[in-house]
Amino acid sequence: MKDITISFTLNGKPITIDFPPTMSLLKLLREKLGLLGTKEGCGIGECGACTVLVNGKAVNSCMMLAAQVEGKEVLTIEGLGTKENPDPLQISFVENGAIQCGFCTPGMILSAKALLDKNPNPKREEIKKAIEGNLCRCTGYTAIIEAIEAASRKK
Amino acid sequence: MVDFVGKDILRVDAFDKALGSILYGPDQNIEGALWLLAKRSPYPHARILSIDTSQAETIDGVVRIFTAADIPGENSFGIIPVTKDQTLLAKDKVRYIGDAVALVAAYDLKSAKEAVDKIKVNYEELPAIYDPEESLKKGRILIHEKGNLLCSSRIIKGDIEKGFSNADIIIEREYRTSRLEHLSLEPEGGIGYFEDGRIVIIASTQNPHYDRDDVARLLGLSPDKVRVIQCGTGGGFGGKLDISVQGFIGLAVYHLKRAVRMVYSREESFLTTAKRHPLIMRYKTGAKKDGKLTAVKVDIIGDTGAYASYGLAVIMRATVHATGPYEVENVYVDGKMAYTNLPWCGAMRGFGVPQIAFAHESQMDILAHELNIDPIDIRLINAFKKGSVTATGQRLDHSVGIKESLYKIKEIRDKYSWSKKKGERLGTYIGVGVGSMWYGIGNTGVPNPSTAQVELLPDGSAILYTGAAEIGQGSDTILLQIASQRLGIAIDRIKLVRGDTLYTTNAGATSASRQTYISGNAVMDSIDHLEDILKAEASEQMDLPSSELIVKDGKIFSIKDSSKSIDIFELVKICNKNKVRVIGEGRFDPPTIKLDPETGQGVPYATYAFASQVSRVEVDTFTGFIKVLNSASAHDVGKAINPKMVKGQITSGVAMGIGMALMEEFVPNKTKSLKDYYIPTSMDMPEIIPIIVEDKEPTGPFGAKGVGEPALIPTAPAIINGIYDAVGVRITHLPANLERVIGELLKKEGA
Repeated sequence: MKDITISFTLNGKPITIDFPPTMSLLKLLREKLGLLGTKEGCGIGECGACTVLVNGKAVNSCMMLAAQVEGKEVLTIEGLGTKENPDPLQISFVENGAIQCGFCTPGMILSAKALLDKNPNPKREEIKKAIEGNLCRCTGYTAIIEAIEAASRKK
Repeated sequence: MVDFVGKDILRVDAFDKALGSILYGPDQNIEGALWLLAKRSPYPHARILSIDTSQAETIDGVVRIFTAADIPGENSFGIIPVTKDQTLLAKDKVRYIGDAVALVAAYDLKSAKEAVDKIKVNYEELPAIYDPEESLKKGRILIHEKGNLLCSSRIIKGDIEKGFSNADIIIEREYRTSRLEHLSLEPEGGIGYFEDGRIVIIASTQNPHYDRDDVARLLGLSPDKVRVIQCGTGGGFGGKLDISVQGFIGLAVYHLKRAVRMVYSREESFLTTAKRHPLIMRYKTGAKKDGKLTAVKVDIIGDTGAYASYGLAVIMRATVHATGPYEVENVYVDGKMAYTNLPWCGAMRGFGVPQIAFAHESQMDILAHELNIDPIDIRLINAFKKGSVTATGQRLDHSVGIKESLYKIKEIRDKYSWSKKKGERLGTYIGVGVGSMWYGIGNTGVPNPSTAQVELLPDGSAILYTGAAEIGQGSDTILLQIASQRLGIAIDRIKLVRGDTLYTTNAGATSASRQTYISGNAVMDSIDHLEDILKAEASEQMDLPSSELIVKDGKIFSIKDSSKSIDIFELVKICNKNKVRVIGEGRFDPPTIKLDPETGQGVPYATYAFASQVSRVEVDTFTGFIKVLNSASAHDVGKAINPKMVKGQITSGVAMGIGMALMEEFVPNKTKSLKDYYIPTSMDMPEIIPIIVEDKEPTGPFGAKGVGEPALIPTAPAIINGIYDAVGVRITHLPANLERVIGELLKKEGA
């Protein structure tokens, strides 16, 4: 099959790229663009480790064809914050002990970002619901929920 | 004066993880690296008659296909030296669905998959065994030539029959647990290449030095010809103790001398890595009317699946811990581990203790109800105290915080008036359950040393070298805190070199909750030696005997005249000028005594962690759905080096315990993905009150023991006992999923 070409906004910058039409957004990010912060935990949309934001909405990038992001805005963990200028959620996750092995962290932070952008003062139950699709095997979620609460208070 | 122990220091790796910049096994890549993919057996038990790779080799993109014939060394591995029975690539027969028979190296994954499909393996199917008790019957087909019994373990204390004849009440029950999957969010993965005459493997692992030694053994090389580097490891829980991709990567690099990579799919991770051993536990417990235990007799049968892995350690641990944290005069425990043709089982957070705790804590709960004693009180009546003698004849002289943990959870339960009542919705009932546990830190009755080095640099900084794998539990931070406190240098002045077998020495596995205690002590020991070196140099510089010198606050002082001192980094400069590195070598091996093979008497562990938990659960009698509402866990960790991280381990353990209690079950031939295996989500979590108890361990670094596995252990028993309190049904087979709960409720109604 012939490659297709699309244009979209990736982490705030416009890009145009060719790839096979069956390629998932996850594979495009990881394999073509070398953005390894987006993780693959299961490949079937069950674990949430590959969560990225598309037009502000948290999606499992493994379940989305890359072609579907044409003209859209995609945000990955690399675009959320940098060492010099981290996002408040990244700081909050560090400070609240919400990170252990860290493999679920990028996806978890992006799900939290989607929530806080829409609902700056979520209730605890709303936070739990927003990260329901992001599995974490290490933390028991408690510290993650607290980190998101703390970040929302700072906003 | 620096103060880094007992403080909530932020994890040293957290910020990079928050930025997504840490590279894990599946992220490792080198331009042009070949992809590796294994061809695996579709049969649970079969003889391999022939393997034909000729067609597969013609596929464009395939570089080479390996079979058992290509393994230059010993085609057998396994984490316990005396039970290395697993083949990297099966030679004569396969023993479970998923056994690897061939390995493809190709330019891309698509070609590798095509080649795997084209490899023709001619099998002769053999009858398979799926039940461990069946497996041990005479005349059954042999899974391994030596027989189907992997190992057995026995503990005998006192006179068991006398113990039962003195009892006023005897409770006999059978308990069963299921096969469980670790489900680290990161699947196994890594890369390898050839450099400086060595095979270099970068992979996620819990045990880089073991990986190095077993890969070298497979390849017939001396260990210094293999270098293993631990990369970011996205959870382990025991699942990354055995080698997975490392062996295949090593084999391919050995032959091809070029870069290769391998990443397990989630399905491959489910089917071909270790599981938690399902145990059948038959308990007979005797007690007096006042609740005092008189005798505990236990028969344990474990299913290790196709290969040994950690089976020996699991059955030993289960037998040693079978009484629970209680002093019992008369004990008889017999454990057997059998092979079956099911996926192999290995280490998983707790090594058999979570299973056995479910059984002994159910027994305690039944006794409490039968004798009408508060479940916390019956535990207090029997709990170990200083001077107690365990079933293996070990006297516990210090750091025995079990009673304290029970007092703490009693306080919480009574403060919030947690008790049995009707739920808010029709058909729901709320109950409160208690679970306690003890857990021996380190490996069972065998040497399991750790080593470490600390080096001082002339710029006022230090380097800590450790082989201890950081898998998310936090050993990087904890070991740095220990070094920082002991050295009197701020934590950000110490650089960590970790998990690279070229630059670090063996710290043993990140398992058995051992790194804080054992590697922490190795770090302490290395600094003792470092100070000896400094004192020797200072002695020359100050013209005083070493015995008259002390190290304090970054200086070396004369004991007799404190105005005489020299800065330690001045000494480092002098040593370095003389081409001497100021580096202290440390080692610690917990003092244990091997268990007697007949009676199990001995000192299996140098120290134990203790814990108790109270959980409040709601049972929906219409659906069988259980919701854990609240949970308070009190853990005696000796000393919390980092209280926030200890609490993080406790909430972590509660989550995994909820999975074990209510939902997790790996069903062979069915479970392949997260669609068939449920783990707790954020919605399943209760409000958790983590409580730290500190009964200092005198042999631990600053009094510390361990908490990684203990965190999980009391959870399932507390929940299961809570279900009984709520609705009067006792779940004896984990998990207490909807079907089992409804089944038991219907049985009770029928009765």
